[in-house]
Amino acid sequence: MVEIIHKYPKVAKNEETKPFWEAAKEGKFMVRRCPACGEIHWYPRTLCPLCHKAETVWEEHSGEGEIYTWTVMRKSPTGPFGLGYVKLDGGPFVYVRFRDGLTEGLEIGKKTKMVFDQINDEDVYLFADLA
Amino acid sequence: MSIKRKACIAGIYEHPLRKCPDQSIWQLHAEVADGALKDAGLSWEDVDGYFCGGDAPGGAMGMADYLGLTDQLTHYDTTDTGGSSYVMHVGKMAEAIVMGKCKVALCTLAGKPRTAPPTPRVPGAEQGFEGGYAGSPPNLYALAARRHMHEFGTTSEQLAWIKVAASTHAQYNPHAMLRDVVTVEDVVNSPMIADPLHMFDCCVVSEGGGAFVMTTPEIAKSLGKPIVNVLSAAQFLKGQNGGGVMDLTKSGLAVSGPRALEEAGVTTADIKYASIYDSFTITVLMQIEDMGFCAKGEGGKFVMDGNLISGVGKLPFNTDGGGLCNNHPVNRGGMTKVLEAVRQLRGEAHEKVQVPNCDIALVTGIGGTLTVRHGSAAAVLERG
Repeated sequence: MVEIIHKYPKVAKNEETKPFWEAAKEGKFMVRRCPACGEIHWYPRTLCPLCHKAETVWEEHSGEGEIYTWTVMRKSPTGPFGLGYVKLDGGPFVYVRFRDGLTEGLEIGKKTKMVFDQINDEDVYLFADLA
Repeated sequence: MSIKRKACIAGIYEHPLRKCPDQSIWQLHAEVADGALKDAGLSWEDVDGYFCGGDAPGGAMGMADYLGLTDQLTHYDTTDTGGSSYVMHVGKMAEAIVMGKCKVALCTLAGKPRTAPPTPRVPGAEQGFEGGYAGSPPNLYALAARRHMHEFGTTSEQLAWIKVAASTHAQYNPHAMLRDVVTVEDVVNSPMIADPLHMFDCCVVSEGGGAFVMTTPEIAKSLGKPIVNVLSAAQFLKGQNGGGVMDLTKSGLAVSGPRALEEAGVTTADIKYASIYDSFTITVLMQIEDMGFCAKGEGGKFVMDGNLISGVGKLPFNTDGGGLCNNHPVNRGGMTKVLEAVRQLRGEAHEKVQVPNCDIALVTGIGGTLTVRHGSAAAVLERG
């Protein structure tokens, strides 16, 4: 857990993504895998967006990956923050924000881990941290 | 069935203002529509097709009602792909004319983002996973620039040449928001917005808008204006592909661009002038590669040393000063791209930037956000 510096809106959840956010409260990073093509995708959808042949199934992922690209946004009322894409181990590219305060040492290829931080009384949100 | 030489852009208008505190959004749409119709020599009563994008509050239904067009339109279309919408609409308007759905099609864009920020696009299913990240055009386009630099060694100095070329052109446009010619050093020394993009890598935020009118070749010939034929148009959506194979060094134009050239029956060597969507310098560089003006990864070298400056380089681009210096109304640059291409084909660009014997021009658009999901569009136009 890190200190939350920035302001975040209420997390938009829906029927399809509710299990993800429930697991997230326990620190579990869930993805969906397709039983037909065997691939995991991002962001989670019921009908496989890669092969369209089957309904996908939730499974826990280690959250480990590496940076594909990154930036640090300097023009921000609450101070700079990092954004990027990480490539998850064994799977998809995920557009993600780096944990509050993580604006130094970002480099393509560096190992990362998905984390959940409490952004308000109700919600945790998904961020990437350097592993 | 083809749209080639079956529809003509007959009228254009760009609002002269870049800040419009005293007009309503709707009023601006009416002003640019009136300007384009007058330029064509057509009247409001002639309009039977209306096309707009997400900048038009209420879409075609709401805007056509405001404009007093509802009881005369036989065709209308509000398809929105951000700033590329108006390049895409070149194709949609030509298709409607070829299909006989309408004979005089009007497309407008207007707004005032500095004083009345547009309503954000209704988000898609990604909202839960992305909505809190404060992704915005500068930081999301920066992700593409970073990856391009990593893979191909592209430098900030090379990107800066794109802004230098735009500013060289903008000095001759009395309406341009930024008219000072800048140097590579000016660009790389401007404040960092989102690494590696500097302030001068970003387009202007301007108000106002523009419009164009498309009609049949028969009507166009009766109007006495120089003829501008539509040769082709193509569109392609690029997204995250379910998180699958991802290449952020390419835009959707890598598909729509070559398709537009093929349908027009031309090659990159035939393009005398290009309006290239320039929300950011990296947007231009990637599209130049995606169109095939040079190989992927060679864009940095291609844009250096004034190669995009009219009268100097091989590919004169955005001779009005582009979105980088002239105008990017309502955060949407597609309309002004169409307008300057028509000026070039008519021989009506400023004499300092007019391309000699400009017979074929390319227009491109990238709308939405390059690295998350965007619409791309390309159109090829010809002097008749």
